[in-house]
Amino acid sequence: MLQFARVAARSVATSHRAVVTPLLNSAITRRDFSAPVENKDQPIDIPNPFEKERRVCILCKHNIVPDYKNVKLLSQFQSPYTGRIYGRHITGLCKQKQEQVEKAIIRAQNCAMMPTYHKEMDFMQDPRLFDPEKPIRPHKY
Amino acid sequence: MPSYELAMVLRQMSRPEIVSVLKRTAGTLLDRGCVIRKLENLGTRALPHKISEHGIVHREGTYFNISFDAAPTKISDFMEEFGRDIDIVRRRIFKIEEPEEFQCTLHEEMLPPAYRKDVQEMIDIAKRKQKRKFKYNSGLDYYPFQK
Repeated sequence: MLQFARVAARSVATSHRAVVTPLLNSAITRRDFSAPVENKDQPIDIPNPFEKERRVCILCKHNIVPDYKNVKLLSQFQSPYTGRIYGRHITGLCKQKQEQVEKAIIRAQNCAMMPTYHKEMDFMQDPRLFDPEKPIRPHKY
Repeated sequence: MPSYELAMVLRQMSRPEIVSVLKRTAGTLLDRGCVIRKLENLGTRALPHKISEHGIVHREGTYFNISFDAAPTKISDFMEEFGRDIDIVRRRIFKIEEPEEFQCTLHEEMLPPAYRKDVQEMIDIAKRKQKRKFKYNSGLDYYPFQK
């Protein structure tokens, strides 16, 4: 009687299955978990399909090493209003590249190749690599 | 001998004068046993700001770059020597170094804070710094007596 009640409960739970025989039911209750189970519904091992594509910064993508003589490139990372170097949250560069860019800009300014309080007038119309109004990461200013 | 790069700005001069200044600087380098690898002319143009040097205000200059190999002990001598030259407005000597190979870490930096390695390290440090609390082992989550 008790066995029948259990069968009834299981058949309700798995109502989409065709027939649940008492024999099969007893096999399920005493299932050996170590044995491999042939079941199409089991999860399969695949790489995460929702994983985002790996992001690479613009200088790493084109394999550019910033040089202090390349003033045209460096002035793109400089504010046209104050001549200050934009931060990593605005430029969207990786840590190492940002460091290299900052070092190169300071070097160029030291050699009197680049202005410190504004951007070179010849490079004002250069295409913008990023929008300072829309930083990739929020910041306190 | 390590490689160095001399970046210098010459004052506004005629062509033969510039040639003589270059010969003079290159001669100084060669006299001290240097090997000159490259001489670059980066052109004459207006300076980004006026520069007062040797008692004159300069507004235009000619940029030159000389790559050379020299003993590290000689570099301060060069700086001193070129500093005394009144035709040189500005001089800087940099060591030429091979750029280090590295992987772009932008992807890891853009992860949410909890997944970033440097943030996890900071949390660990904060945990370590916290003062240890005495455990009474009374099985209660409060102190049963009056304090």
